[in-house]
Amino acid sequence: MLMTSLELIRRLEFNVARALVGKPEVVRLAVIGLLARGHLLIEDVPGVGKTTLAHALARSLGVGFQRIQFTSDLLPSDILGVSIYDGKTGEFVFKPGPLFSNIVLADEINRTTPKTQSSLLEAMNEYQVSLDHHTYPLPRPFMVLATQNPLEYQGTHPLPESQLDRFLLKIRIGYPGRSDEKEILKGVGATALERLEPVLTAEEVTDLQAATEKVRVEEALLDYVMAVVEATRRSPLLALGVSPRGALALLRAAQAHALVDGREYAVPDDIKRLAVPALAHRVMVKARLERAAGGELETEAIIDALLQEIPVPR
Amino acid sequence: MSVRLAFQICTYLLILDGLAALALAGLIEPAWWPFIILVVMASWLHEEVRARVTAVVQHRQLLTILAVGFFALDLLYLAESLLDGFVHVLLFALFYKLYTRRTLRDSRDLLLLAFFMLVAASALTMSVGFLFILLVFLLLGTWTFMLYHVMSESEQNAPDQAAAVIESRDLVTPSLLGLSVAASLASFLFTALFFFVIPRVGQAALPLRARLGQMVTGFSDRVELGAFGTLQTDATVVMRVEFPDGPADPEGLEGLRWRGVAFDHFTGRVWSVTHAERRMVPRTGGGQAALARPRGTGLLITQAIYLEPIGSEVLFAAPWLLGVTVSGGPVWVDALGAVTSPVPQARLRYRALSELELPARRPSGTVRPLAEEERARYLQLPLLSPRIPALAREVTRQTPDQWAAALRLTHHLKTTLRYSLELKRTPGVEPLEDFLFVTRSGNCEYFASSLAVLLRSLGIPARVVNGFQRGEWNPYGGYFTVRQRDAHSWVEAWTPERGWMTLDPSPRAEFDAAWASSSTFQYLDALRMRWHRYVVSWSLGDQLRASWQVRQQALAWRRAFFDGGLSFPGGKRGAAIAVGAVMGLAAALFLWRRGIPLAPGPVRRPATVPVYERMLKRLARRGLRPGRGETAREFCLRVAADLPEVRATVEEITRIYEAVRFGGAAIAPDELARLGQRVATF
Repeated sequence: MLMTSLELIRRLEFNVARALVGKPEVVRLAVIGLLARGHLLIEDVPGVGKTTLAHALARSLGVGFQRIQFTSDLLPSDILGVSIYDGKTGEFVFKPGPLFSNIVLADEINRTTPKTQSSLLEAMNEYQVSLDHHTYPLPRPFMVLATQNPLEYQGTHPLPESQLDRFLLKIRIGYPGRSDEKEILKGVGATALERLEPVLTAEEVTDLQAATEKVRVEEALLDYVMAVVEATRRSPLLALGVSPRGALALLRAAQAHALVDGREYAVPDDIKRLAVPALAHRVMVKARLERAAGGELETEAIIDALLQEIPVPR
Repeated sequence: MSVRLAFQICTYLLILDGLAALALAGLIEPAWWPFIILVVMASWLHEEVRARVTAVVQHRQLLTILAVGFFALDLLYLAESLLDGFVHVLLFALFYKLYTRRTLRDSRDLLLLAFFMLVAASALTMSVGFLFILLVFLLLGTWTFMLYHVMSESEQNAPDQAAAVIESRDLVTPSLLGLSVAASLASFLFTALFFFVIPRVGQAALPLRARLGQMVTGFSDRVELGAFGTLQTDATVVMRVEFPDGPADPEGLEGLRWRGVAFDHFTGRVWSVTHAERRMVPRTGGGQAALARPRGTGLLITQAIYLEPIGSEVLFAAPWLLGVTVSGGPVWVDALGAVTSPVPQARLRYRALSELELPARRPSGTVRPLAEEERARYLQLPLLSPRIPALAREVTRQTPDQWAAALRLTHHLKTTLRYSLELKRTPGVEPLEDFLFVTRSGNCEYFASSLAVLLRSLGIPARVVNGFQRGEWNPYGGYFTVRQRDAHSWVEAWTPERGWMTLDPSPRAEFDAAWASSSTFQYLDALRMRWHRYVVSWSLGDQLRASWQVRQQALAWRRAFFDGGLSFPGGKRGAAIAVGAVMGLAAALFLWRRGIPLAPGPVRRPATVPVYERMLKRLARRGLRPGRGETAREFCLRVAADLPEVRATVEEITRIYEAVRFGGAAIAPDELARLGQRVATF
């Protein structure tokens, strides 16, 4: 079981990495998000490959894929779907929106209004859409890959905390290395993206997700997760600590990391490694301490510092 | 701790346990204990000793021949009993093995010797202490044999690696200890079940080396005044009495005492029995020796009596004894009603049926008149000071009948004289006169003798009875503990109105209140009683009774079940408790089978990897310690950067540590041993 899981994971990682050159760590985090049944928020400056990553992941899975370009005039019905009056039958018929797919790329999610952003809440948390007194289940696996640009402020609507809490991980991509960028210039990634073939079926994805849940977590590790979460709540630098949903996200992500690492049990390193991507976007720095330059970056540094102080289970 | 060291420690502890058993059984004199323990402990260092004293070992043959000769002599002539001789042989073999052991086989022989010591002691001791010694032996024995097995198997199957296994410190873990404890407890419970079920045959306690306890004076056919004096400060337990058939509140029974022997002839200093001949009492169908018929004076009670060895054949029981059941020996009774049974057992257990005597109640039916010869015996008087009959007449003036006179005299002695254990005698004065008119204080013997003499001087037949007073009630075990200091004398008087009745003139009730035992002592005593009752003297009869009760109960339940209404002992509450217990058990079993923890919280101790701990210690010596927030992997990377030469080992051990600690994996002992050796090179 473990061997085949690992083989599938490696195949997926390799496939995605062909499109996103020189960023194996980012690819791995994306795969972890998928295995832990989570949603990803990919945040970085324009042009580093946010959309490429989302695209590559979606293409590597033989599942449905929809891309929604979020704009300021986008309405919830544009995403969820709408009931249309059918003249022949004389009834309203639900026409599902682009959200009814397995992988949904919500490009530049912070460009749309909070109203439209919030229409994703139920879908992301409960894998269903409630509309006109009906509940429509979403297909499985279901994953939202959202991208946003942190530097733009004009005409954007930063995601509310409740929305941010729905994302399992927030990933930064960063500029590629020099040699990798050269490869990109040669057009390696772009051509690869177009030629990507699906390497995993929907069934294999759900199997991997099930395997992730079975990863063994010792009691001491639960205590460690609790210690990390409690430290964010007690920290004098933070106004908002991590929610129980955040603690659960960290645990799931750590389990997925263990599986990706080829283990059937989690170790403290899994938690330590995932703490920043899983928690940084859930906490808020106290207003007076926040600096204009990068409140986001600061939360990452704070969590990193906390991790060095919390005793690791032995 | 290495396997070898653990095995050696356990072996010595087992030997000490065996020696303790011998000491408990009295097979080793206390004077020898320090010497024996010293010799045993000194053998721990025997390798060094042997290196210096090679000469002794060279003459092993000679030593053996000498020993055989000596022990032949010892067994035949010197030793107190055959068993003592065997114990001497055992001790010699023990010392010999201790100082000459070299191989694992020698250690096994030592374990066998310890076992034989336990067997030897088991034949003699009836103390509850043996239970603890046996439990220790079981626990240690299982543990030791596990270690022995590990060592012998590795010697046989992998001689080249045996040394590594024997010196390995990773095998002796708390979990292995826990396993052996569980195994030994399980075997103990299992064998206990067999003990109670397998039919018992023969004598419970073999009189192999019947060493009688201190002879208790006062219960032979001739007793001097003042014989009880020394007894009455002695707290040794003489007997324990329980009431298997009720009453519900035995502590509330009035005038309970345990009658032993009676005397009819008094010389002024010595009481004795004129006709010492006894007759054998025929037994009825149930095995009971019937002695008398009920007179209607009070309650009928059955007593189960456990008599300690006191060097007397007398069977004590509450007056008036109607019948007695002793397994084994015959029952004899003398003319004065003293019951004896020459049963060769160290401890005696018998049942007695008695009719209590309430002074207020008159015996029903006619009183059989005393024969003239009997009457003369009970009226015999020594030469007395005239003051004594005068006193009797003065006290009993204007009493309507003899019974009233007897009561009046009893009351007079009780209220005007002082009870004391300090027996001061005035030289030249007859003891009774001294007691009644000079010192005016004495113990129960003086009170009883005086009353008997006063009664006789009035022409009322009387006799002195020696026995024990009621004793102390043990609320934990539900029985009376009777001690030597409870030894007591009282009087039986015959009146035409009532026949033989008990009169007790001693005012010792308040005197005894000072003797109350602590509840701890009582609890321990109850434990001792149960040990004796349910283990030492667990007999075929008990088994039959127990199985009969189980069967009766099962039948009753079955009948009740088919009749519709299931009834439990204890009514509805009992039924509710039983059903609740069964359901609780079922639920617990279900949870357990499903792997749901029964107790909340982190109960399980995390698995440890000793080799990893040792590696950390070694690295700490070289200045590398894991930080507070540093994971094992991060530490491993740091070590690999600082000490490239140990990188491979550290990485491997870290991986194993993670797999065991967080993955619940198990590692092969040989791999551990291999890694342990590599760590040792750090």
